[in-house]
Amino acid sequence: MLYRTSGQFKTSYTADMALFPVRQDAILLAIILAFAWVILPLTASEFAFQTLLIPILIYSLTAMGLNILTGYAGQLSLGTAAFMGVGAYACYKLVTIMPWMNPVVAILMSGFFSAGVGVMFGIPSLRIKGFYLAIATLAAQFFLVWLFEKWAWLYNYNASGAIQVPNLDMFGVTVAGPTADSMTQYYVVLAIVSLMTMLCINLTRGTLGRTWKATRDMDIAAELIGINLMKSKLTAFAISSYIIGVSGALFVFMWRGAAEPNLFDIPLSFRILFIAIIGGLGSILGNYLGAILIVGLPVILNTLPQTFGLPISSATVEHLNIMIVGSLIIFFLIIEPHGLARLWALIREKLMIWPFPH
Amino acid sequence: MKLWKKLAAATALTVVGTGAMAAELYTPNLAYRTGPFAALGIPLMNGQADYMTLLNERDGGIGGLPVNFEECETGYSTEKGVECYEKTKGGALVTQPWSTGITLQVLPKTNVDQIPILAPGYGFSPMSEGGTFQWAYNPPASYWDGAYMILSDIAGGDMANLKGKKIAFLHLDHPFGKEPLPLLEQMAAEHGFELVPIPVGLKEMQNQSAQWLQVRRERPDNVIMWGWGAMNSAAIAEAVKTKYPMDQFYGVWWAGHDPDLAAVGAEGKGYKSISWSMPQPDSALMAEIKEKVIASGKTQTTEDQLNSVFYQRGLVMSMILAEGIKAAQAHTGNAEITPADLRWGLENLDITEEKLAELGMAGMVPPFATSCDNHTGHSGGWILEWDGEKFVQASDLLQADQSVIEALAEAKAAEYAEANAPWPVNDSCGG
Repeated sequence: MLYRTSGQFKTSYTADMALFPVRQDAILLAIILAFAWVILPLTASEFAFQTLLIPILIYSLTAMGLNILTGYAGQLSLGTAAFMGVGAYACYKLVTIMPWMNPVVAILMSGFFSAGVGVMFGIPSLRIKGFYLAIATLAAQFFLVWLFEKWAWLYNYNASGAIQVPNLDMFGVTVAGPTADSMTQYYVVLAIVSLMTMLCINLTRGTLGRTWKATRDMDIAAELIGINLMKSKLTAFAISSYIIGVSGALFVFMWRGAAEPNLFDIPLSFRILFIAIIGGLGSILGNYLGAILIVGLPVILNTLPQTFGLPISSATVEHLNIMIVGSLIIFFLIIEPHGLARLWALIREKLMIWPFPH
Repeated sequence: MKLWKKLAAATALTVVGTGAMAAELYTPNLAYRTGPFAALGIPLMNGQADYMTLLNERDGGIGGLPVNFEECETGYSTEKGVECYEKTKGGALVTQPWSTGITLQVLPKTNVDQIPILAPGYGFSPMSEGGTFQWAYNPPASYWDGAYMILSDIAGGDMANLKGKKIAFLHLDHPFGKEPLPLLEQMAAEHGFELVPIPVGLKEMQNQSAQWLQVRRERPDNVIMWGWGAMNSAAIAEAVKTKYPMDQFYGVWWAGHDPDLAAVGAEGKGYKSISWSMPQPDSALMAEIKEKVIASGKTQTTEDQLNSVFYQRGLVMSMILAEGIKAAQAHTGNAEITPADLRWGLENLDITEEKLAELGMAGMVPPFATSCDNHTGHSGGWILEWDGEKFVQASDLLQADQSVIEALAEAKAAEYAEANAPWPVNDSCGG
């Protein structure tokens, strides 16, 4: 009923290949964008900004970076958090060496450092595959975190070994640091995440995306039809690491405000891998759904007992929370092993043909 | 339908409820009863909560207002900590961040939100500089105080005795563990002893064979440990295994947790830990807690925690907060206070011997006083020694030489303010 596609005729190839072949998809996206850009910022509290909106967006972006590499190009990586760290430390060095620099430019530039490091650690992917490659990226994880701890220049010889975000202005408005307003930070994050999402959608639908998918599905066949595997794999590493680096800079500069080296340790890598897997490998939408489930849901569950006035101690809530989120992950993976994005695709298909299923 | 009605009613009740509950003192605690450090957290949190429960039960709160000592669970994770801070900051009088990571993140925000941070015995040592860290308090002693006191116990009171010694500094490779390094380095240069820093990575906490191999090779005269959580028990077990003389082994106050030592029992005899708190099982306060809190079951404390160092340290922490609230109430003349009032109260703490006796806490913490310029109080501390079964007091009250520490704290505070410019500095304190 809501998703009826009758009457929407395609008369040209371009129209058939358009981003939104079904009109309702475009309407739905417009509604979501209106929520993200107008309604949520107007209604959200400081708590919602800091614990739901900003982190979900940033985690979605990181998962999107990983999804380019793992979901589209088929190269398994366990070093995501370390590449985020490269972005964060690069951004920190950029703004402390050049305090006049526009913070958004610094954030976007820090991605290049992470892309460089990503390509370096991606070189082994030309010779090894699957689990063996995962081990190689795991090496990146250990090595880079060790580097963040030992290379004191990275954190400006700070006695505590942690980096702290100074107050940064852009056109007279503070966008980062303790005095920054949450709404300003949200808009900066939203703008960058929207831009990156558009970039990713177009990349994955274009030549490069098809090259990646071919590499993922069968690299020998891809090579036989003339795809340069080296180029395909290394561009995937570079673009993926660039996005992850930018998200790492956002993570520290627009949200956390401070970071110590062990923040970028392996649990964070796993968390992002879970978001990508539960959301759906090889999809853009899935990253958002996964981040909402893994990052947003625990926060909401935590506030529930208090809202309903249930006298449960905070520690018990935490234990319950871990159990509920854990069982939900298993539940979703049982009903749809290909992730939440696939689940949504099935629902959408059912809606289109409703009420007459085949 | 019925369920929805019930839910709606419950929501309505909560909304009304929170409106009516305004007259209370809301002092949330960012607790960690779950996660990797829960074993250390639980006795501390229990002590803190029990003291406030006692005040509520016995006196109806502080100044007639009940204390709402709600806990927000962080599991020691920084992310959850920030979530808790955002959740509680609306009505909170104080932030008790608990982990160094959370303190790091929350510290700059409290300046903006104007809520005092109370970090008893942890956090940054330069927080004592009240002019720079206007909203942060770490009474009664800072890590630099602790490091100095350990050195002075090793030297037997005269720092000149340290000349030519070799002291290993076994520490967690983390902001917390690195905290005393600037002071130790300065002291090493000044008094001519050799400092061997031995970092323990967060991932290697439970397997320190490499570090203790280094200890065995270096043969230091003393080992000072700045450890936390699983690191302490592993280090103590390794020290026993490598037969390092226990009486030359010193720990910070967080490395004096009874169960860690109980695991090695008599073999840990002689191990020392500096502490600004001391369990007093026979004190009047403990008798009252047993009668009014434990017996009535309004607690999560178990019997075996009661006389442990950590549980009673929790009591002292809550006492500091309660005294800060009392001072603020006396100053403003109102029972209902604002975070800014509490800031004044924490800045004007005067915990004297008489006051401690009056609270039934004689000997549980050394007397100290804070001021606008001195947010720590520098109470000094005692050396606690493990006698094979429990910790006993093994020294008179030690004091850190503030002329050394203050110069360093001033320099580091200025550095912090500069790195985080524009940082509001209050020059009116002097000092």
